[in-house]
Amino acid sequence: MNLNDYEDILEPRRFDLSHFFWCSKKLNSVIAYKQNIKPTPSLLKEAVLNDPKIQKFLEEISREKRIPKDFLDAQVRLILDEIGYQKNLKIIRLLGLVLVKICLKVCEGIFVNHNSISHIKSVMGSCPVIFVPSHRSYADFILMSLICFTYDIEIPAIAAGMDFHGMWAMGSILRDTGAFFMRRSYNNDTLYWTTFKQYVYQLVTKGDLPIEFFIEGTRSRSNKSMMPKYGLLNMILKPLFLRQVPDIIFVPINISYEKIMEEKLFSFELLGVPKPKESTSAFFKSLSIIKENYGSIHMTFGKPLCSKQFFGEYLDTSRRSTGPIHEQELTERDKSMIPSLSHEIIYIQQKMTTLYVMNLIALLTNHNLTKDEELLSYDELKEKILWLKMILEKFDANIWSTDIDSDIKKAFEVHKNIIHLTGNRKIDIVKDHVNLANIDITKLKGYHLSEKVMTQSVPFVMLYIYINPILHCIVDAALIVIILKMYANSTSDSIFQRYHFLRNLFLYDFVTYYTRIPLDFQKAVNICTNFKLIQINSDGKYNLCENQQNLVEIFISSIEPFLYSYFTTLQILETYNRCDEKRILVEVQEKIVFEMEHKFIHPYSLNLDSIAHCLSSLVLSASIKRVRGDNGVAYEIDRTKVSMVKNTLEPYILKPHLGKTIHNNVLRNKL
Amino acid sequence: MINEEKENSAGNIENGSSKLNQDNKKFQETINVKSVVPKYRQELLKWNGWGYKDCRFEVNAGDVTSISLTGNRYPIAGKNLPHFEGWVKNTFNVDLVNPTLSQALPEEDKYPKTLLIAEELVRIVRLNIPYSLRGVDRMLRAHGQTLHDIFTLRNGMFERIPDIVLWPTCHEEVEKIVELANELNIAILVFGGGTAVSGAVECPVNERRTIISLDTSQMNKILWVDEANLVACIESGIIGQDLERELKALGYTTGHEPDSYEFSSLGGWVATRASGMKKNIYGNIEDLLVHVKMVTSKGVLEKNCQVPRLSCGPDFNHIVLGSEGSLGVITEVILKIRPLPKCTRYGSIVFPNFESGVQTMRQVAKWRCQPASIRLMDNEQFKFGMILKPDAGLIGSLIDILKKLYLTKIKGFEFDKLCVMTLLFEGDEKQVKEQEKRVYDIAGEFGGFPAGETNGERGYMLTFVIAYLRDIALEYRIVAESFETSVPWDRAISLCANVKQRIAQECRDLSIRHFLISCRVTQTYDAGCVIYFYFAFNHGDVSDPVATHHQIESRARDEIIACGGSISHHHGVGKLRTKWYPQTVSEVGVSLYNATKNELDPKIYLRRII
Ligand SMILES: Cc1cc2nc3c(=O)[nH]c(=O)nc-3n(C[C@H](O)[C@H](O)[C@H](O)COP(=O)(O)OP(=O)(O)OC[C@H]3O[C@@H](n4cnc5c(N)ncnc54)[C@H](O)[C@@H]3O)c2cc1C
Repeated sequence: MNLNDYEDILEPRRFDLSHFFWCSKKLNSVIAYKQNIKPTPSLLKEAVLNDPKIQKFLEEISREKRIPKDFLDAQVRLILDEIGYQKNLKIIRLLGLVLVKICLKVCEGIFVNHNSISHIKSVMGSCPVIFVPSHRSYADFILMSLICFTYDIEIPAIAAGMDFHGMWAMGSILRDTGAFFMRRSYNNDTLYWTTFKQYVYQLVTKGDLPIEFFIEGTRSRSNKSMMPKYGLLNMILKPLFLRQVPDIIFVPINISYEKIMEEKLFSFELLGVPKPKESTSAFFKSLSIIKENYGSIHMTFGKPLCSKQFFGEYLDTSRRSTGPIHEQELTERDKSMIPSLSHEIIYIQQKMTTLYVMNLIALLTNHNLTKDEELLSYDELKEKILWLKMILEKFDANIWSTDIDSDIKKAFEVHKNIIHLTGNRKIDIVKDHVNLANIDITKLKGYHLSEKVMTQSVPFVMLYIYINPILHCIVDAALIVIILKMYANSTSDSIFQRYHFLRNLFLYDFVTYYTRIPLDFQKAVNICTNFKLIQINSDGKYNLCENQQNLVEIFISSIEPFLYSYFTTLQILETYNRCDEKRILVEVQEKIVFEMEHKFIHPYSLNLDSIAHCLSSLVLSASIKRVRGDNGVAYEIDRTKVSMVKNTLEPYILKPHLGKTIHNNVLRNKL
Repeated sequence: MINEEKENSAGNIENGSSKLNQDNKKFQETINVKSVVPKYRQELLKWNGWGYKDCRFEVNAGDVTSISLTGNRYPIAGKNLPHFEGWVKNTFNVDLVNPTLSQALPEEDKYPKTLLIAEELVRIVRLNIPYSLRGVDRMLRAHGQTLHDIFTLRNGMFERIPDIVLWPTCHEEVEKIVELANELNIAILVFGGGTAVSGAVECPVNERRTIISLDTSQMNKILWVDEANLVACIESGIIGQDLERELKALGYTTGHEPDSYEFSSLGGWVATRASGMKKNIYGNIEDLLVHVKMVTSKGVLEKNCQVPRLSCGPDFNHIVLGSEGSLGVITEVILKIRPLPKCTRYGSIVFPNFESGVQTMRQVAKWRCQPASIRLMDNEQFKFGMILKPDAGLIGSLIDILKKLYLTKIKGFEFDKLCVMTLLFEGDEKQVKEQEKRVYDIAGEFGGFPAGETNGERGYMLTFVIAYLRDIALEYRIVAESFETSVPWDRAISLCANVKQRIAQECRDLSIRHFLISCRVTQTYDAGCVIYFYFAFNHGDVSDPVATHHQIESRARDEIIACGGSISHHHGVGKLRTKWYPQTVSEVGVSLYNATKNELDPKIYLRRII
């Protein structure tokens, strides 16, 4: 990655005598969509209430349920007050001030590819602009607003979950800085959703602010991309399909963190255990954040994506223009067009990920620890990092690295809670005893994991949080490698067939879109061949090359826990015709814990995300069916199909696990 | 026609149909109209541009450049237009120097040779109908007024032009021509005023048969005027200004006033479903038309009576209306006429923005209190209109009003957003007063303020002048064209915004930096309105400006249709818009058209729409 593309927005602030001047700077913000009639938060709400569609809807309910219309109007007003954003410049400035102070303390830099921002600003003004950042941390919200403030872009209207709404002070601060609130989708109150949809419609068609939303719907606990959600995107795009706006520009944004504020919380959540309360009160805890060092943050703004161009001719020819415009809805065909756009955005977000030296260290250390080998020495590590960096760059990774020694040093500093140098300068993970004394057992999502298992697992899961961001670069190669390992001497077609199966099975863990699968395969084969990781014989058959053993192992080790989770999940499913989701989670974890007693199983296999992802992908392939059960979600299982999937996956569950027992014991002895 | 008596007409031949009413009602006999436009059009009209030869915008490069309209036909003629140059510079980055001049009128041997063969010529001459084989006459009937047409005239030559021009002078002569064409398998192109902006007049390039241009201009009599029923029977070749002048002398008007009415013909209006500025009072051509005769190769299509309405199967008038010269030749039309209005008044209103103007129009239409004409110019168009203000004194007027308003009541007005509505009221004094009040009241509700009569009047005067601008634009490497659509009210504003944006995007994609896209709402209906767009750009180093303009306009039409607009409100399909015909009328509609075409014109000697 080109270091010069980025500038550190904190840099100029370090020299400010007082940040106060900066925060009270004259604002000359660029707006997204110039409107002839300047919208205000209250005008938008009024317009929603007066919209013919809403009015008609209210009249209907009023007639059917014999509720006075005035009462319903008042209901809608209440809902709108819950939803609607506000704009309070004083709060924005104040927040800016506080944020800069905090960031200067805890961050080494907030790096932004500023030329992209200038470009984006230059295309703003004539249609709605939607910022779509990746979502890895609560900090995303605040950073986006800080960036907009810094670069003189009007602070966006931000779609936020109701969890914020409830938070003391946070809710109103966010609202004042432009957040609008959306309830979770499982609530099916029609009055609420009709109102919310209309609010978004107004915001897009008559608003002038950029709109910001997280296409993944929620923070990714695993630090890698998640399947996009379509609900809000459909709402945002509706005016385009109805031709009520000239175009809609999407700006994919990747926010990468050298260290994620919520890493520990996420690790616990992934294992299904609520994070134990810290002894100090929340207030002192929050102060402790300020003592931490979170390293660098990179915000990469992608090229503006014009949805008009993206959907192309379809938009011009798809509609018959009869009937009042406010009665029109997206057609099924319209809706079927939208996933490709959301996947494109996710894809761009992924490609823009910034990797840090820590991510490389995590991958290497993990590989080292899961092998029955000596711990790495500092020099070995350094050598391997340089080697790995070179390889990952071939796979289009953007790695932030200036001077390797100081980068490593920094990684150890920033992540001192995860990795450390032992007395004899060997690299090991930090193992803290996990005390589960005061957790609420009723809040467990899966199996009741013991303190011992937790103590053993948390460090590995934390490590994986930093491995995961690499995987989108190498997963294609890793799958090809593992296929060739099991099925040497394969034709391109047969590799693709198996690859296709695996890629689809792991669709939710390694997010991609079906149209990309063949392309990504070809690309990965090319890189692997060029790189002499695989070779093609004169008869057109592929094999692994002998001399890249180390890389082969690293690639395989990177996806092994996923293979194992999925395999175990399939094994459990095979035994049921129908089963509650909760029970599946419990039993899968239980089985893995049991196996862990006997051999080395990577603790990340326990992560509930992967199990849930496995279920989703089986639903997609119609091997199981998601139904509503007495205790929440349940599944009806097509056992033949599940067995088939399991059998196809089985060969990749590598035997070498057996040999790890010793190391596992070593690990356990160290505790 | 039920008239039996015949009467000599101006020419050396007999006039087929005529009048006579035995009752004692007033009945005006045939008027042999002397047209303003001579038979050889080029004697009065530009051969390579719009309108009268003596009217053109002229740049006088002196110490200070001055620009004015020559001649003395229009109110602003001869006056210096001080704002012109700066606006052009600002909008198009064009300096008014080094004009790109048109080629000279080609020499006789430079025109495509006639394909007419001797045998055909003999037969045609035997019809005893005036004709011409001259290149220039043939070329002048090979085109309408599209950008492509004018650009070709100035810089090149049409690939295909008619092989002979015929000037029939009555219905019967048209019948003879059609019969002969059928017999000899000759194609016919009907030529009225040649103002079409759809490509409908151009010759099909790969027509290998002989093409006759049937010029209706000498068939322009007012056959009779029936004052009891307020109708007049008129030959289709009459042009608007002649018709109105003659009727005015009798105290009547048709009230049909398309912006091209100085030169466009009655037959052309019917054939293209034309729409006049004052349709709110008088109706569009389809409302005005009571009876029509069309000569087809199967005979004459017409009805047996002249009644106000008829319940009798599909209305075949609507096969004639909009047939664009593809089903037959329209020869005689009975039109409604109205007594001249006692009172005519102009008006104008400023609005803080386009939306409030459109909302006003919507309300006015809702209460059906439209004046004769109501138009809304967007901000760009409003500014553009100012370049035609003769001197600083006059320009002051509107600005002064605005300033005064600004100080008193309308702080919210921004110069870059405001829009102007122009109004034309007709009726008796009382009606006009009432109408004025209602319209100004409604406008007031939406934040509009009256901006004086003069501004309104100027707006309408300029209507006829604007068409002359394209010629000077071409001289300074700006290509320009207008296009229009109709749209339901609830989609009007988004359509305007989207089309503008689409054009801006297309220009950006083609690296066209200096362009103008503006629009105005020109008509209101109960169910929707008409939007008229102007699009022009500095073609600097674009290699094929006409094709580029066409491409962008075509994208804009895609956008219009996707936004719920129509293929056309009044310009017609022609050659330019056939692409959207099937989706507009459905596949069944297309077969219905084709079946009609096969029935009325099996040998396809006329052009076809699709
Ligand atoms: C500056 C300008 C302003 C305009 N403003 C308006 C406007 O306000 N409203 C509007 O409706 N249009 C307008 N037009 C478009 C044009 O003037 C109309 O389409 C007009 O009706 C064409 O009449 P014409 O006599 O010039 O027909 P032509 O251009 O000669 O022919 C047009 C079509 O009609 C056919 N046709 C002509 N006469 C007959 C006939 N007797 N029998 C059968 N077919 C025939 C021709 O074959 C051709 O297909 C404008 C054009 C220009 C250049």
